[in-house]
Amino acid sequence: MSEFDSKIITFLCNWCSYVAADAAGVSRMTQKTNTRVIRVFCSGMVDPGYVIKAFASGADGVLVAGCHPGDCHYISGNMKALRRSFLLERLLTELGVEKGRFRLEWIAASESPKYAEVINAMSEDIRRLGPFSTPSRVDEPSAAASASGQ
Amino acid sequence: MPKKKVAIYTATGCRSCETSILDIHYQVQRLNRMVDVVFWPYVLGSQLDDVDALDSIDVCFYAGAIRTETDRRMAEKLRDTSRHMVALGACAAFGGMPALANLSVTDSAPQEAIGEPTDPVAAPTPGEFEPHVKSLTQVVPADYVVPGCPPTQPLVWAAIQALVPEAGSDSHLAFAFSRLPKLVAEAMASGVLPPRGTIFGGDKAVCASCSRVKEEKRFKTVLRPYQKYEATGRCLLEQGLVCQGIATREGCGGLCTAEGIPCRGCFGKTEAVFDPGAKMVSAISSTFEPETPEEIQALTDQFIDLTGTFYRYAFPTQCALQRNRSIETQK
Repeated sequence: MSEFDSKIITFLCNWCSYVAADAAGVSRMTQKTNTRVIRVFCSGMVDPGYVIKAFASGADGVLVAGCHPGDCHYISGNMKALRRSFLLERLLTELGVEKGRFRLEWIAASESPKYAEVINAMSEDIRRLGPFSTPSRVDEPSAAASASGQ
Repeated sequence: MPKKKVAIYTATGCRSCETSILDIHYQVQRLNRMVDVVFWPYVLGSQLDDVDALDSIDVCFYAGAIRTETDRRMAEKLRDTSRHMVALGACAAFGGMPALANLSVTDSAPQEAIGEPTDPVAAPTPGEFEPHVKSLTQVVPADYVVPGCPPTQPLVWAAIQALVPEAGSDSHLAFAFSRLPKLVAEAMASGVLPPRGTIFGGDKAVCASCSRVKEEKRFKTVLRPYQKYEATGRCLLEQGLVCQGIATREGCGGLCTAEGIPCRGCFGKTEAVFDPGAKMVSAISSTFEPETPEEIQALTDQFIDLTGTFYRYAFPTQCALQRNRSIETQK
């Protein structure tokens, strides 16, 4: 059976996590290739709407990565991301997005091994969860039953 | 001039929208002079089959969500017969509260879940159910939308005035200029039909017309409306009440918030909001006080039923994760 190729949208902060991702590539670390990177200036600008839009547009997982607490280039942007993540995770769970599909991680510019590790772990988690679909995304009851039965 | 023919019908709903048509005070008399109501089961006792005898209807006010096979059949029939179809109220416009049933979609049909009726007189057999509850706008194209649960009298009257024009009624439209988008108000004043797809509501969020004061204060615990009541004064969200004004279309004039009741979002989301739930997560998260992960987690646990709260009136149409390919037939 061919392996399920997941789509993971990663929002990486310009000052830490994006640099780490870049360095991970330059250092030729082994990484899964099913990520789509979106560079943002700060993890604090990733509105919950972006995350929900990513899932609604067909993403199987969303990773938001920013600087470690206290290291934010904009002083407290990453704390804003942290504050939102709790309620957002709850809402996503209620809407049928399984735990593990949304992650918030702190990855400093020097932590390229951690970046590769997070990406690999996340794509493995999502491969196990399978493609994301909410029961009502399909119109017909028979299709809904087969989708939820997977 | 012949009177305009009007049909009024409620599918799956509570009929409050129909009651709000009767609740337009003195104007009920004028409504009676202006229109010929040809089909209105609630008030006139019309039978469903009466629709077959009608060859044309000028304006149809359709309230309620599409839950049963009869709802769909009536929606399609009334759409075919009517020149203008108005989705009246939150259920017809966005799915409304009946659509929260979609949260517990099961593989078995609702009929099986309900079971066989023991007493056919007291509990008649329900008809065929649709697999999911939908809004009217997801089933047939609607020309106009009057949001609200139920729609407020000024907006119901505005919709009637706009679609069933009456000569010399300009002076009665003064309110339209303050409550409706400029385009709609101007169309109404000049006696032409508002553009198709018009929503009879404001453009901004409820906060724009709310009388309360924001103080940039933060709350520590989540409160429910019965636990805290301040008739006037401070922003409700800053007091810890889950008020959805920031994500909700205005037009009501901040009726509930002025009385100290948090906004429940019955006008649906504003144009600028992508997903009302996401907007509320963002708004609440920037308004609570806790700073450490443990404290935030403890506060998050105090919330009850986020989906049912944030998407109370618009689950199938405005929740980004629910919208499917049949959405917004009108576009």
